[in-house]
Amino acid sequence: MASTIIETAGLTRSYGDICALKPLELSVPEGEWLSVMGHSGSGKSTLLNLVGGLDRPTAGVLKVGGEDLLGRDEDGLARFRREFVGIIFQQHHLVPYLTALENVMLAQYFHSVPDEAEARFALERVGLGHRLKNRPGELSGGEQQRVCIARAIINSPKLLLGDEPTGNLDHKSTTMVLELLRELRAEERFTIIMVTHNQEVAAWGDRTIYLDDGVLVREERKTG
Amino acid sequence: MTRRRWLIHLVFRALAHRAGRTLLLLAVLAMASSLATALGIVSFSMGKRVAEEVRNYGANLVILPETARLDVGSGGLNFGVISEPAYLRQKEVEEALTKSALPGDRSSHLRGALRFRNSDLLVEGVNFGEIRRLFPWWQLRGRWPAANEAVMGSDLAARLRLKEGDMVELAGPKEPLRLRLSGIVSTGGEEDGLLFLELRSLQQALELEGELTQVRLLVTTEGESLTKRAAVLQRFLSKAKVTEVRQIARTSEGLLVKVKLLMALVTLVVLVSAGSSVTGTMSTTVLERSREIGLMKAMGGTRWELLRIFAAEAALLGLAGGVAGFFLGSGIAWFITKSVFTLSPEISPWFAGVSVGVSLFLALLGSLGPMIAVFRLDPVRSLRGE
Repeated sequence: MASTIIETAGLTRSYGDICALKPLELSVPEGEWLSVMGHSGSGKSTLLNLVGGLDRPTAGVLKVGGEDLLGRDEDGLARFRREFVGIIFQQHHLVPYLTALENVMLAQYFHSVPDEAEARFALERVGLGHRLKNRPGELSGGEQQRVCIARAIINSPKLLLGDEPTGNLDHKSTTMVLELLRELRAEERFTIIMVTHNQEVAAWGDRTIYLDDGVLVREERKTG
Repeated sequence: MTRRRWLIHLVFRALAHRAGRTLLLLAVLAMASSLATALGIVSFSMGKRVAEEVRNYGANLVILPETARLDVGSGGLNFGVISEPAYLRQKEVEEALTKSALPGDRSSHLRGALRFRNSDLLVEGVNFGEIRRLFPWWQLRGRWPAANEAVMGSDLAARLRLKEGDMVELAGPKEPLRLRLSGIVSTGGEEDGLLFLELRSLQQALELEGELTQVRLLVTTEGESLTKRAAVLQRFLSKAKVTEVRQIARTSEGLLVKVKLLMALVTLVVLVSAGSSVTGTMSTTVLERSREIGLMKAMGGTRWELLRIFAAEAALLGLAGGVAGFFLGSGIAWFITKSVFTLSPEISPWFAGVSVGVSLFLALLGSLGPMIAVFRLDPVRSLRGE
């Protein structure tokens, strides 16, 4: 049986009087693809930010990889992110003045040492071996998202977080990105937590949880 | 690729991406450091020029013997003061000057009287080499004396109807001195009424070997006050009095201080305005790059690592601005010193350090506020574009 990579107990996040995430109990086994659904303001992104160490909970317990993240300071959380997490954003967030290769190497720089051969290999794995020297502005949306995936996996994270990673892509590119993620997960055995609005995209996961107004209201497990 | 090489690569890429803003910042830094450099060079050149001008005024310190004074009086009545001629021991003065290590020039003088045509004639023994260095404004008709020669003050020569080439025979306690007048000197001062001959000859003629009546010094102050310099020398001369030739010394010192103060104020104003400009531009840059900074933090960049990237950008700009500022500033200084003050600028490589230092300081200080913003920036909010 797979060990648990994420465990929360009474996890809460408030912004003043507004409670974005109400006490949440969640357990994610290692290697699972968890889809998080809910409409705008339901607390999906808040959950993702907390799990990724980008934000701090107001109350509760948040254990990732067995470690309580509350014990880490800001720079400690940054170190946690570079060692443990890869993030794919909806808007790609690539550095505009760096090439695809350099964008991947930037993640290596913050993790350890930039290695061009490794970064090249990562881009080849996502099918962009021919676009190494192109800047984000010269790439299509799907290609940019694949650069993001290469950047997210370059440091072999245990946890891959996707904040609506296919939200800006057409159907063909969406399928391509999701297939790529499935392949990479099979090879690298990382855990995926993906926030999405799209039921079809959510269906690629092993399990889907539904948030509404900061409360986990439903959970569906893939059958077969 | 090493982390350091990557950091430099990243910094160059970031600066090249914002070429317009980078050039603007470079221009501001180069302008500020060039003005600081130019004013520094002008100030330094003027300082040297003023020091040279002051040299032309002659000595600024005088060493005189403490006269043996005796008040004569009785029962509340004072009949006056009796004073004997007093002398400085040449050896003691030289030792004191060596010990005090005062920078500058000096001239040793022995004044006395010798008989000429049955009357006393005021004569002064000097080293003519020292006189030529210390009193360059003396106007000489004829030439400086060689052995057995002398120069005579113009008033005295007129009174005695003597001219260059004439012989004078002077009688003293020892055998008579026969000297040829090699020149007639005119200073507009008391020197016009004296006869000048070699110090050693006069000391022998007056049987005052190793004695002096006065030593004049032109001490270079090099930033210290003349009073301090005089006090240092006085400590080594118990039987003599070191006196400032106050007016000229103070005027020259005061002028230099005022010029330097003016330069410092102008530099300060320029640096403050350039610093504000750098802060403004860097703040805009940070604001524009907040998503990029948020992304770097999200990827695991610590606050200090992000700070290092921005500090490296500022330092690189500062360095480049400083180098450009040195060359530009040297050009400006050359123009100002040549056209306004008719001087040759004293451009030393040391000013390159000043220029780079000023530019680096401005770039880093101006980036301090924006860098604090980078330090505090919340990655979640900045990625959302807030």
